[in-house]
Amino acid sequence: MSAVRRPQCVVIGAGPAGLGAALAAREAGLSDVMLLERDFELGGILPQCIHDGFGSIVFEQVLTGPQYAQRFIDRVERAGIEVKLNTMVLEMRGDRRITAVNPADGVFELEPSSIVLAMGCRERTRHQVMIPGYRPAGVICAGAAQRDINIEGLMPGRRAVILGSGDIGLIMARRLTLEGAEVEGVYEIMDHPGGLTRNVVQCLHDYDIPLHLSHTVTFIHGRKRVEAVTVARVGEDLKPLRDTERRVPCDTLVLSVGLIPENELSKQAGVQLDPLTGGPVVDETMHTSVEGIFACGNVVCVFDLVDWVTQTAETAGRGAAEYVLEAGRRKRGPAVRVTAGRNVKFVVPQLVRRPERGVDFFFRVEHPERAARTRVLVDGEELYSRKAKMVRPPEMIKAGADPGKAARGPENVTVEVVAEEEEA
Amino acid sequence: MPAYMKPGELPSRAGLVVVGGGVIGCSIAREATRFTSDVVVLEKEADVACGTSKANNAEVHSGIGEDAGTLKQKLNVRGNRMYDDFVRGLGVELKRQGLLIVVTQRAIPRDGGMSEDERMELLTRKIPEGIVAYGKNAGIEGLRTLSREEVFRMEPNVTREAVAGVFDPTYGLISPYKLTIALAEHAVINGARVFLNTTVTGFRVEDGAVRAVITDRGEIETSLVVNAAGVFADEVADMAGAGGFVIHPRKGATLLFDRQVTAEYVRSSVAEFRLPGQRTTQSKGGGAMPTAEGNLQLGPTAIEVEDKYDTSISAEEIEEIFERFHYLLPDFPRDALISAFSGVRAPTLEEDFVIGASEAVRGFVNVAGIQSPGLASAPAIAEMVLGILHDLGLPREPRPDFDPVRPAPPKFSELSNAERNRLIREDPRWGNVICRCETVTEMEVVNAIHSIIPATNMDAVKRRTRTGMGRCQGGFCHNRVAAILARELGIPVTAVTKDGEGSPVFLGAAKEFLGGGQA
Amino acid sequence: MKKTHSYTCINCPLSCGLTLVEEDGEVLEVSGADCRVGEKYAVEEFRNPRRTVSTTVRVQGGVLPLLPVVSAAPIPKALVRDAVRMLSRLTVDAPVADGQVIYPDILGTGVDVVASRRLDAAGRGDA
Repeated sequence: MSAVRRPQCVVIGAGPAGLGAALAAREAGLSDVMLLERDFELGGILPQCIHDGFGSIVFEQVLTGPQYAQRFIDRVERAGIEVKLNTMVLEMRGDRRITAVNPADGVFELEPSSIVLAMGCRERTRHQVMIPGYRPAGVICAGAAQRDINIEGLMPGRRAVILGSGDIGLIMARRLTLEGAEVEGVYEIMDHPGGLTRNVVQCLHDYDIPLHLSHTVTFIHGRKRVEAVTVARVGEDLKPLRDTERRVPCDTLVLSVGLIPENELSKQAGVQLDPLTGGPVVDETMHTSVEGIFACGNVVCVFDLVDWVTQTAETAGRGAAEYVLEAGRRKRGPAVRVTAGRNVKFVVPQLVRRPERGVDFFFRVEHPERAARTRVLVDGEELYSRKAKMVRPPEMIKAGADPGKAARGPENVTVEVVAEEEEA
Repeated sequence: MPAYMKPGELPSRAGLVVVGGGVIGCSIAREATRFTSDVVVLEKEADVACGTSKANNAEVHSGIGEDAGTLKQKLNVRGNRMYDDFVRGLGVELKRQGLLIVVTQRAIPRDGGMSEDERMELLTRKIPEGIVAYGKNAGIEGLRTLSREEVFRMEPNVTREAVAGVFDPTYGLISPYKLTIALAEHAVINGARVFLNTTVTGFRVEDGAVRAVITDRGEIETSLVVNAAGVFADEVADMAGAGGFVIHPRKGATLLFDRQVTAEYVRSSVAEFRLPGQRTTQSKGGGAMPTAEGNLQLGPTAIEVEDKYDTSISAEEIEEIFERFHYLLPDFPRDALISAFSGVRAPTLEEDFVIGASEAVRGFVNVAGIQSPGLASAPAIAEMVLGILHDLGLPREPRPDFDPVRPAPPKFSELSNAERNRLIREDPRWGNVICRCETVTEMEVVNAIHSIIPATNMDAVKRRTRTGMGRCQGGFCHNRVAAILARELGIPVTAVTKDGEGSPVFLGAAKEFLGGGQA
Repeated sequence: MKKTHSYTCINCPLSCGLTLVEEDGEVLEVSGADCRVGEKYAVEEFRNPRRTVSTTVRVQGGVLPLLPVVSAAPIPKALVRDAVRMLSRLTVDAPVADGQVIYPDILGTGVDVVASRRLDAAGRGDA
């Protein structure tokens, strides 16, 4: 309803990524930072993550999700960052024009000098993992159930089966149990848990909830409300073995079957995405392929720890500030591609543009491995090397390296995990 | 049944009672209101369009896929032609995107003992020309053959195995449940009354004529009944002694893809030409097509089932769809799958429509066996049924006071920014986005709940507004929509259902299971 | 009498399976650990397992119907369910300050249960 505003930086999403990025941009010298959030309050997913386990790296303290969020919210409120709540971004163009709406301002347009994407991720649904059966009430994703129980005060079910042993699924097993519901069991298609061991122990073992590895749900029964699910063991090809099928009565099926970076706006703006992460391809400042658009947190790739989200957010916020303050004076240099080497599923950032500065590489392994060594190689020269007793896909690994210190190049950066004995 | 679901008092008498609030029942009811306002529609579910009408592929067929000489083909061809007039004023969009029939290499396998020249002559000339001739004979206009290059120009994602094609421009798409809702509302605007959650349990028949409809909420005296009960039409007819046909349910599953990914993936409906012997079941074989809203859909399957309520989807069906369309569209975006649904068709053993006045019970009209192309045929079916009803005594004189317009509530996502801001200034709820995937605002949800055929559950709101229909499938908005439903209906959130009685979304309030009681 | 207990170490991704043998409460042996941290963990899990409790309590007049709370320190594992049940009977009035004590000395453990966020009084904008 008003003229087009031109803030120095607009951050989309006020979860841990957006909060961290807005603060970092402000602290790096931008006076006009605007934070857009579609919910009625700040914090993103954190306010519903009432369990503890957050912040051991950033704050060297174990906090609950709301506590972690509160620290950033308090800082954002003091920092003089303009916050727009109940605000939905309708469109983002590659020239950084944003159209958004909220009940107070109506539809409004922004043309910021920089944008930080911090939209987080969404949950994979039943159809994306193709669970056959009926479509009754009572099939719900774990994160949605978490919001219902912890924020809205509503119980999605009384007797639940959980499919998927990702961290949210494990945490919801405990949460449902503590709130007086019954969890019949957690079923995991892989032969190893999807979540952290800490959560397997403290959420399942502590409450005698069985974890059925190499199992899946093959049918949802109930026309109006879930009445039962059929579960089955899976073979090595992950296909259900029909003769192992068993009907489990329940009124709810909770799904914890993966997260997808929420990049619909990124696609609109023409931001290049990495098929391996589902998020934007970024350089070491979290700059995407589109000039002036940065990204951080789970919109880039799904992290296991909020502390890593905060770290990428601070990098993105600083990157955006630097971009705005240096506007026009420096052209983006050529980029060196970061290669995901042996037993590395993906690496973020995917590009290194200014090798003279240190870079933190985040990556996940493809398969568990004992006695491994994680390495960063620049044109074959080892710049980072660390022994790990064990590496597992659920746990993201961070490797800090300084490609600028390499003797030559850099022309190629490789992140890899090698077996200890391969090395000598 | 909770109070908010209970329909109002039934009238003691009605000129015409239509049993079944699907697209056929609502089409007939709407057409009837052109002549009389004394029309009642009875629907056992909590909303109209809850049976076959909510779970089909939204196709307004041309009739090309039907057997010559059947009532199905006749009504399909005529219905298609009538469609633009039929939907005028309803606020529901009919898209005539056309049908592309692709002739592929596998239509005639190489080992058929035929020379390659003969085979190619068949594939690229005789088959396409045959299809066009067949269609012309049935009265379908505008059919034309396409070369291989023209096929790819039209649909670049089609298999390189394509050798020729036929384009059928009259083929269209319309949201079947939006159409049904609009027809029901248009009928109500013109005086009809629609009663939801009302089950017909019998009929009073005296002296060979229908006298009353008996329901679980009371009796309505009437001398005219239309049985448009879909898969239950045989049972309803038998209740009156007006039966003699059997509905054997056949379900069809369809896969639905994210429209942001698949918009423009196929622009027309795309089907593969198969010789009759190559079809595995009694169905036209399905196809790949956009929905009325732009999602790619693949399907449907066709599987005979025992249970008329069997809307489940089996792993085999999903596999079958993937397999079939992997050939036609080799790199369709599997990962963009967001939903799958299944509907139950209502074929008779004869596989043709059964439309006519009962000879055993005067005043009782069966409109049964309406499976695909039922949606396309709806205008012609309604026209035919009205003819029968006139003969049975329904007034013939058009009403001068018939209101031709059913106002459709605005859709935020389809408005210009200026229009959006005008609405937000009037009511800020227009600026509160509830469903982020489909950009649905609070006011649209409120409007749906208070519309002429009120949406009283999650699915009913979804059908009217698209809440929860996007890629997150309601993960983000389900509790918001439930809260609005509770507020507007004056019920606790725990009483909100997915689709009527027996389908609560939540099973308790916080702390309830711990004996903590209500706050 | 000798008894055997199994634990899974949670201190690193190795997730060692630990076996602890005890006789009348006296730890005789811990095996399966790859390091000292694991041994220590097993002994602690046997002698005095503790957990941080987090749950919600009902709020009156707040922007949300529930307030997340957490024990300021871990409490004995055996008391976790009772603590949650006890807290489920509580209703607090908004506004609530971050860190405000909601239930002091829960179940005589000497540990306070505190609010884990700020929760303002009602006036929430949306549905």
